[in-house]
Amino acid sequence: MNTLRRASQLFIFCFALAGAMQSVWDGVYTSEQGKRGQPLYNKYCASCHGEQLTGGEDSPPLTGGAFLANWNGLTVGDLFERIRISMPQNRPGRLTRQQNADILAYLLSANQFPAGEAELPAETERLKQIRFESTKKSE
Amino acid sequence: MHHLKTGALFALLAIACFGQPQRFKDSEWPTYGADLASTRYRPLDQINASNFSKLEVAWRFKTDSLGNRPEYKLEGTPLMVNGVVYTTAGSRRAAIALDAATGELLWMHGEREGARGAAAPRQLSGRGLAYWSDGKDERILYTTPGFRLIALDAKTGAPIPSFGKGGVVDLKLDDDQTIAPDLTTGEIGIQSAPVIAKDTVIIGAAFREGMTPKSRRNNKGYVRGFDVRTGKRLWIFHTIPMKGEVGYDTWLDGSAEYTGNTGVWTQISVDEQLGLVYLPVESPTGDYYGGHRPGANLFGESLVCVDLKTGQRKWHYQLVHHPLWDMDISSAPILADINVSGRAIKAVAQPTKQGFLYVFDRVTGVPVWPIEERPVEKGNVPGEWYSSTQPFPSKPPSYSRNGVTEDDLIDFTPAMRDQALTIISKYKIGPVFTPPVESKLDGPLATLTLGTASGGTNWPGGSYDPETHIVYAFACNACLTPIGLVKSPKDVSDMNYIAGTAGQEPRMRTGPGENAGADSPIPSRAPAPARGGGSGYVPLTVQGLPLIKPPYATISAINLDKGEIIWQVAHGETPDSIRNHSGLKGLDIPRTGQAGYSIGTLITKTLLIAGDSQVTTTNEHPRGAMLRAYDKATGKEVGTVLMPAPQSGSPMTYMLNGKQYIVVAVSGGPYSGEYIAFTLPSTDEHAETR
Ligand code: HEC
Repeated sequence: MNTLRRASQLFIFCFALAGAMQSVWDGVYTSEQGKRGQPLYNKYCASCHGEQLTGGEDSPPLTGGAFLANWNGLTVGDLFERIRISMPQNRPGRLTRQQNADILAYLLSANQFPAGEAELPAETERLKQIRFESTKKSE
Repeated sequence: MHHLKTGALFALLAIACFGQPQRFKDSEWPTYGADLASTRYRPLDQINASNFSKLEVAWRFKTDSLGNRPEYKLEGTPLMVNGVVYTTAGSRRAAIALDAATGELLWMHGEREGARGAAAPRQLSGRGLAYWSDGKDERILYTTPGFRLIALDAKTGAPIPSFGKGGVVDLKLDDDQTIAPDLTTGEIGIQSAPVIAKDTVIIGAAFREGMTPKSRRNNKGYVRGFDVRTGKRLWIFHTIPMKGEVGYDTWLDGSAEYTGNTGVWTQISVDEQLGLVYLPVESPTGDYYGGHRPGANLFGESLVCVDLKTGQRKWHYQLVHHPLWDMDISSAPILADINVSGRAIKAVAQPTKQGFLYVFDRVTGVPVWPIEERPVEKGNVPGEWYSSTQPFPSKPPSYSRNGVTEDDLIDFTPAMRDQALTIISKYKIGPVFTPPVESKLDGPLATLTLGTASGGTNWPGGSYDPETHIVYAFACNACLTPIGLVKSPKDVSDMNYIAGTAGQEPRMRTGPGENAGADSPIPSRAPAPARGGGSGYVPLTVQGLPLIKPPYATISAINLDKGEIIWQVAHGETPDSIRNHSGLKGLDIPRTGQAGYSIGTLITKTLLIAGDSQVTTTNEHPRGAMLRAYDKATGKEVGTVLMPAPQSGSPMTYMLNGKQYIVVAVSGGPYSGEYIAFTLPSTDEHAETR
C-alpha cells in the first residue's frame, strides 16, 4: 500500500518534470544522422535484430509494440545506456558514443519518429532530457 | 526360507536405493516443469483469490554480476528442494543455490569457456537446471552455452570428480557424428534444462536460428541419455535416421546424410512408471525452404516416444510433414491421465505454435481423437518438395489463430481496416499450412502467417491440472511472420533459397554467438536501400497499430476428457500504444492482451498465475508489468501484483516453514534479469508456524 502510494507520487513527480522536457516527437535527430546510422546498424546489429529491425528467435525486435512498450515513458538516455552497456551482445561496449548515437538516430527514424534540425547528442545526461513516448500526445 | 527373506529384503533395499523413482513432496518444485509430466502444477492454496493482491516481495535476486555483462532475458524457472532454490542465471549461465526463505546466495558455479562459449549458438542464462538425489548424494546438473554437461554437488556447488572428466562431459563428443568444423566453433548447444529420470540424464540439442542457414549441411540434433553417476553415455536416438533405420526413406536423394538440425531444443517429459520418454523434435535445416531435403523428413516436427533405458523408438507421430513453417515442436509434451467416454487413457498432450493441441495415447501413440490427413495447397517455389496432405486434429479445436484471413485484420475503424486491406494485397494469405512464396517486388512479398515461427505456444509450454484433467496454455494470437524466400547468393549460403524480401540485400540472420557483426567486414555489396525507397519493405502496422485485431494473446483452458475449450481470456493489459492512441479516442476497446511468446503459466489448487509480457502505465498502476491470478475454473481475474518488468521466465511455487512462495523471472527493456519471490505478509498465524 505504502509502496504503491510512493510509486504513484513518483509517477506524478515525473509527469510534472516531463512538461519541461522534449520528446521523440519533437524532431530530436537529423535525417542525415539517421542515414549515417543505418550502415552501422547493418554492420553491428542487423545480423541479430534483422535488417528490418523485426528481431529473430533469440533477439527482440527494435520496432513495433513490444519494443515501444519497453521504452515508453522512459528517456532516450535510458535506451542509449542500454545499448552502450550491453550491445552488440557479442562485444558490448565496442562502439563509440558517437556511433551509438548515430545508430540510435537510425532506430528512431525506423520507428517513424520525425527527424528535425539538430543531431541527437552523445552525452547520456542530455539524452535523458528526451522522453521516449510510443504515441504522440495530442495537444 | 531364511535366504529368500534376506534376498527379498536386499532386493527391496536395492529398489529403495537405486531402482525407485525419487518421490518429492508437493511443497517442492524438483524439476523444470514441476514434475516429469511437465504439469507446472502444485496443489498449494495458501495464496488464493482472497489474498493474491496482497502478495509482497519476500526476496529478490539480481543476476547482473553473473557474467561479463548484465542479461536482459532471464528465462529460467528455478527448482526448490529441501529449502534450497537452484537455478541458472546471468550472461555466464552460472548455476546458483539460494536460501529459499531469504534468497541469500549459498553458492555459485560458472564455467569460463572462452572462444567456445563465445561461438555458442544458444547463449545467455538458459531455462534452468536439474536436481538428482539417491537419498544421500545430491547433485545439480546443467549444460553450459559451450555444450558441456556439468555435475555439481548440490550442497557445495563443487564439481563431482567422478562424473565425466572432473565433473564435465563434453557434449560435442561421442555423438555418433563429428561436430563440424571443430570443437570450438562447431555449431551445437542447448538452452533448455536437462531432465533426469531414474538416474538417466536426457539431453537434446539446439542450433542457430534456421531462417537463413549458411548451408544445407549442418550438425544433427541427436538426443542422448547419460548415467547421472558417471556421465557415461547410455543411449542415443537419431532424430534423423541413419541408413537402415526407420524413417531413413523419408529423406529422398540421400538428404538424410547431410541435412542437420532436427534437434530437441525444448523440454523433454518422462513417464518413469512406463519407462517412456517423450521427445518434441524441431524442424530440419532450412526453416522455410526444404528443396534440399525432399520427402516427409522424419523425425522432423514429430513427437517421438523412446524407451528410457535404451533410447529405442516405441512410436512416433509426425505433426507436420516436410516442415516449411518453423513450427518445430516448441514445448514439453504434457503427460495426462484422462477419462474419455468412460475409458481411462494414459495420454500425452502437445501444445504447439500452430495452436493445435495434439492428444495421443502415450503408450501406443494412437490419437485420442482422430487426426485426419487433409489435402493442403502446394506452392511453386522452384525446387521445393511439397507434402500433399497435413494432419489436422478433429478435437480439440485450435486454441489460437493459425492462418490469416481478412476477418483477422484490424477493425477498430473502417478506415483502419481499409489500410490493412491495402497492406495485405501485397502478400499471400491463407489458412494453416499455406506454403511460403518466392518474394517478388510487385507481390506477393511473402506469405503472411500466424501460428508459425513465434505464434501460439512457444517454449514455456502449457500447464495441466491432474485433478480436473484440464490443460492450460498461453498463446500468441497475433505474432505475425511474413515468410518470403529469395535466391541465395553463393557467398551467403549454398541453399538455393533463404528467407528474405525482394529488393533487400540477402543477409545472413545469425543470432547471439555468431560473432555477428562485430568483427565481420562491411558487406561489399551495395547497402540495402533506405526505407521507403526501392525496397520491398512494408511495415505491418496501421497507424502504428498491429495489423491483426485483438485479442493479441490468450490463455485457454482445454478439458482433455472432452476435447473442448472451456474458457479463453485475453492475457495482458491493453498496451499503452493502443490505450493512448489518438485515433482510438472514444472507442470502447476491451482488454486486448499483449503479443508475446515467452509467457508460461503456473497452476495451483485454485489459481492460474501468469505475468504480463509488456510493461504498461495506467490510471490504476504506475509503470510496470502485472503478475495476474485467474480463477482456474472460470478464467475470471481474481488478483494482480505489480512487477518492475515483464515476466520473462515461467513462475513456480513452493511451501517452506508454513509459507507459500511464488518465484518468477523478470527482465526486458531497461530492466536486467531478476528473480523475485513473492509471499503473503506475515500475520500472527504465520508467525506461530515458523
Ligand atoms: C549477437 C546478437 C546481437 C547483436 C549483434 C546485437 N544485439 Fe541487441 N539484443 C540481442 C539480444 C539477445 C537482446 C535481448 C537480451 C539481452 O540483451 O540480454 C538484445 C536486446 C537489445 C535491445 C533491447 C530491446 C528491447 O526491446 O528493449 C536493444 C535496444 C538492442 N538490443 C540494440 C542493439 C543495437 C543497437 C545493436 C548494434 C549496435 C545490437 N543490439 C546488436 C542480441 C544482439
